Amino acid sequence: MATDATDTEVIRFIDKFKEICVAPDGKEYPVISLKVARLIARESRTSTKEVESMALEQGVIPRRYLRNMGTIGREGEVKLLRSVVGVIGAGGLGGTIIELLARQGIGHIIIIDHDRFAEEDLNRQLMSTEGHLGEYKAVVAARRVKKINSATSAVPVVEKITKENAPELFKDAQVVVDGLDNLPSRFLVEEACRNLRIPFVHGTIAGFSGQLMTIFPEDEGLRSIYGPPGELPERGIEVGAGNPSATPTMIAAWQVQEVIKIITGVGKPLRNRLLILDAREGTAEEIKLRSEVSQKDARENAD
Amino acid sequence: MASITVKFYAFWRAYLGLDTLSLEAADVGQVMAQVEEKFGAQLRAKLQALGIQADQEIQDYCLLLLNGHNVSRQSLRQVKLRGGDVLHIFPLAAGG
Repeated sequence: MATDATDTEVIRFIDKFKEICVAPDGKEYPVISLKVARLIARESRTSTKEVESMALEQGVIPRRYLRNMGTIGREGEVKLLRSVVGVIGAGGLGGTIIELLARQGIGHIIIIDHDRFAEEDLNRQLMSTEGHLGEYKAVVAARRVKKINSATSAVPVVEKITKENAPELFKDAQVVVDGLDNLPSRFLVEEACRNLRIPFVHGTIAGFSGQLMTIFPEDEGLRSIYGPPGELPERGIEVGAGNPSATPTMIAAWQVQEVIKIITGVGKPLRNRLLILDAREGTAEEIKLRSEVSQKDARENAD
Repeated sequence: MASITVKFYAFWRAYLGLDTLSLEAADVGQVMAQVEEKFGAQLRAKLQALGIQADQEIQDYCLLLLNGHNVSRQSLRQVKLRGGDVLHIFPLAAGG
């Protein structure tokens, strides 16, 4: 934890080393480079994350976030750097989610996956490489985060998600993102998020298509799509249809945009709306979801 | 009897070669009986070709949403329809 004296020193360094950068649109930004951010962190015995956050608060943009400014701005980037996101599953969806969250500048990522990389994962799981076969997905993903962004911290949790460990694992998270591969675990995570009063960004894929939705604690959520937990089989058509290389990334990229919107307050999250992307047919459609209560009320009032 | 619209999504659309269908039915059970009669065998053949075990009726391996809310497979006959209702039918996708 930085002291006030350290803060003053960091701010002095930032002021000393900042430069002016002209963006493609002609706008001038005071910036600091990664090299400078690291140097200040070392000199002031604090973290790169702390230096970058303080720079942003002083109106100085770390160069690596310059292309984020036009969408979420300086205030948005500070919120992201100070945020904690939980990612459950580090496979097809999860791998891309983690990669993009690190690039966007999320402060801390909790990565939960109990599985190891296998050859069948290589076609689509971004974190898998031939050299990582047999290694734990969460551990590989956390290492990758460090390589992408030294201001983003990541903790790998090599555990199967359960009703018992979920509340503890997500207790510091502001949002949890779905990279799971079965329905019962999704219901379990949704329930944990509801109890913690945090949003859950649900996504799922099969073949050339996939769907996603953001669930806030007060929303009906998964039940409005899947019915009560336990009524459907654990897995769906993906068992036969498989998942080609681009499908997980198509849905994961949207899920990351949802996380960014939730944390920064920019835009309109996909609440009570199921977005279905079908790459085979080339369609993107939205189904407006209605809560069971409002539907029943509407029926009874009409009768 | 009510005039309703059935909308298919994702694989179902590709396999059945159509995205919407208009039909007359009094409850969701009647809709699914008609869908089963028209497309059941065709859909099962496609799924089996993919190695998916699909020897039951269509509703046993898909999701049904009436006007944007899940319809339980156990209550298809109890859910009465009104003109203009939309029934969304899509495959269960749970991959990640």
